Amino acid sequence: MAPPTTTVPSCAAFRQLPPEVLQPGSVHRLVLGEDDAVRVLGDEEAAAELGDPFATHLLLRGVFPRTAGDVLSALDRATPDGHRLREELVFLLGEGSQILMSAATVGVERRLRFLVVRGVGAEGADVLLSAAHPDSGDVELMAWDHRAGGFNYYQSVGDSTAWVFAGNSRHALCGPTQGKGPFESHVSGNVVMKELRSPWLHWHSRAANILPSVLPADPPLVGHPWVSSRNPQGADICEVAVAKPGINRWTRARFQRLVDDGVVDDPGRVMVQVLDTPSVNLIASNRESRDVAAGGPLVLPQTFFVDSEALTEVLGLPAPPRFAVAAETYLRSLRTFDVHQEDDAGVRHAGDTHFAFAVPERAFEDQAVLRRALAVGLLSERLAACLLMVDFPNPVFSRRRASLLAHVPPRARITEGSWDLSDAMADAILDAAPDTPAGSPEREFAELWEDVASLGDRLHPYYAAVTARLGSQAGFDDYVRLAESRRHRVRQMPISESSLLFARTDVPARERRMTADGTVVEV
Amino acid sequence: MPVLTRFDTPAHLPEPTEGDRDAWSARIQGVVVSLTADHPQFFDPTVGEIGPDVQAPVVAWTAFPATLLEDATSEEQRWAAADASRDVQDEYCEWSVERDDDGVITRVTFTTEVPEYFQHLARDPDRLLATYRELVGPQVRLEDLVVDGRYQPRNVHNRSTTGRLAHLVQGSNTLEAALRLAAQATVLRHDADGQPVTSAMTLVRCGRLGDPRRNSDPQIAAAVNDAAATGAEISLQDPVGIYIDRLVVGGMETPDGEDPATFWTVERGDAEHVLRASYAVPPDRPYRVGDVTVDGRPIRFGAQLADRVSVRLTALVRPADHRPERRPCVG
Repeated sequence: MAPPTTTVPSCAAFRQLPPEVLQPGSVHRLVLGEDDAVRVLGDEEAAAELGDPFATHLLLRGVFPRTAGDVLSALDRATPDGHRLREELVFLLGEGSQILMSAATVGVERRLRFLVVRGVGAEGADVLLSAAHPDSGDVELMAWDHRAGGFNYYQSVGDSTAWVFAGNSRHALCGPTQGKGPFESHVSGNVVMKELRSPWLHWHSRAANILPSVLPADPPLVGHPWVSSRNPQGADICEVAVAKPGINRWTRARFQRLVDDGVVDDPGRVMVQVLDTPSVNLIASNRESRDVAAGGPLVLPQTFFVDSEALTEVLGLPAPPRFAVAAETYLRSLRTFDVHQEDDAGVRHAGDTHFAFAVPERAFEDQAVLRRALAVGLLSERLAACLLMVDFPNPVFSRRRASLLAHVPPRARITEGSWDLSDAMADAILDAAPDTPAGSPEREFAELWEDVASLGDRLHPYYAAVTARLGSQAGFDDYVRLAESRRHRVRQMPISESSLLFARTDVPARERRMTADGTVVEV
Repeated sequence: MPVLTRFDTPAHLPEPTEGDRDAWSARIQGVVVSLTADHPQFFDPTVGEIGPDVQAPVVAWTAFPATLLEDATSEEQRWAAADASRDVQDEYCEWSVERDDDGVITRVTFTTEVPEYFQHLARDPDRLLATYRELVGPQVRLEDLVVDGRYQPRNVHNRSTTGRLAHLVQGSNTLEAALRLAAQATVLRHDADGQPVTSAMTLVRCGRLGDPRRNSDPQIAAAVNDAAATGAEISLQDPVGIYIDRLVVGGMETPDGEDPATFWTVERGDAEHVLRASYAVPPDRPYRVGDVTVDGRPIRFGAQLADRVSVRLTALVRPADHRPERRPCVG
């Protein structure tokens, strides 16, 4: 039988692969955008392309595990006592994991899945696998390629012992492989932990346990090593031990290559992560939504209002105050907007997500690119600050900021020890500004560029205006509408895989933006 | 699991005599017995067989105080706030910081040692003094520790966030508080609508089980309460104590590329039961803790490491056939 030609440029392509086209006990290659069809990798070809520990300890030695649990057992057999690949951390998440198990909710699609990592050190984990159950196939696996750099992406299909190599992190960044296969959701070739920061909505964490009562009963998991003794570990550990160092690891490797080459052929690929919103993380209040009924202020995520991670933590501009809303104002908005959760089968559950007011924030992987671009000198602090202050009330999905990508030069070089990107881009925007309409992003940039000392002064009136608006029901209701428009954008992104990712409302799905006076307008 | 004849000291710390061991056990048993009287699903592991089916789930949380996260305006602000006072270090883990003449951090010391153990030590003033001198330094005098015949936990050597600390002093950081929380969390609750209360924060508020904004209280309460809902009996594993679980070094970098984990030293306890640990660069290396970076930032606060230190206790869950009835909230 001839192998099928893959036309669906997504992870669905792997799920659609008929097992009969795969050769058991083999590693295949299907890098969408490069490969027209799945094919078996020959021994030499595999050895040349795959330099990660999953390949070097197992696949290249003829070991092809069938299930997630088999992968781990095989790694144990392949390594001596004390080897770092024997060090394991298990994490658990699921968008419906916090919905109480009862007769009424037994059918909720909770999407429980495990992340198991091996080889954890200062740079994160060497092997990461995701599976619904230790005994299940359809394993998604990433492993750091110590030779080439970047993560290699693998997928097993059904109960087969066939494995498919789906690409390396570098495939996420250029050419026809961008945005395809695993890079549809791993947009920049990175570890994805959407709910990266406290309170790690949807994850088992110190902020919210996933109770044993929601674990699958068939086959049963209670008592399995993945869910007993120290497991599952909290998402707080995943954040600092796996996700952030893993993202930084790939970002550092990616930029090291640029520095070594002394030239960036597509600086737009870097700048899109500074100016646009190719991906997001999800953040929420640290307070359980049900707990708000007890009264007291509900502190909202700062990064909903301003990109404080970049502007304050990286660039040193004034920190925002604590943004909080009265409990009764929040509770009234739940009724006003019919806030509820709805699973994929359409079953409703009244109220907000487990933690209140979940919204997207700028992705950590994009923050990592900003930090790295500054560290290697590709971007100057002045350019970064002025770019990110354009339309600063909209930290994500800012059309105004993204429009400045038009001024990214086609190529950046190191000359006499300095990158030429910052000067070239600033000059391009400043040159263009006079010919643009009043209020254009270019004119806004030019104004900021000329008065860079006052950047912080522009934030304080905004902070005060938001604080004042949060004191009124109408003001907070506007922010609920704004939040809903941002959530709607996320629901269109490949990382949105469950109806339970966010709560639902009856707010019409229109694009809205925040203004510098703290009001919200429809676009 | 073998029959437990008495409660051992935290991390099996050595005691001079059997009488001293018995004294510590009696201290813990006094608390446990009073709790079992009021909470039928909380059991005393020194009474009868524990049983072969007992499970020992670990409950872990982060040392950085969650109560400071909510009001934080920036990373530096929250780190500085946590480093400013032992009174805010309320996650059963406290730390103190040493700096050199340049103000650069040279060592950060973390402890989970409970004040009850030092009250126990104070039965023998010489032993108390010797322990303090071992942990804090030779400058400690007995009169700094004992006033009018009573041990002063918040003495001059153990109340600040600078130098070397001895043991926990924050008001909520006691072993009795942890035991009491575990016992009280066996009570199942329902809300005003009759719905079961199971989520951590709401449960803590409903049962008045501590501070719902902390890491530790809601974690312990939720884990215990979920086990109690199955009809099981709960206790804490011997040696009963709060332990430092680990330092996560992901994202940490040293100037010379040395593994940042190598600078973490367990000072008290054993590998499985760490009571005290410190982070310091050995003197043969030409840099200090303040030259190590975390997520690209130099370590300027002990709290940057507290973000990465996890703390744990281990529960005992013994299958049983209790049929607990949910009670209304009291909080």
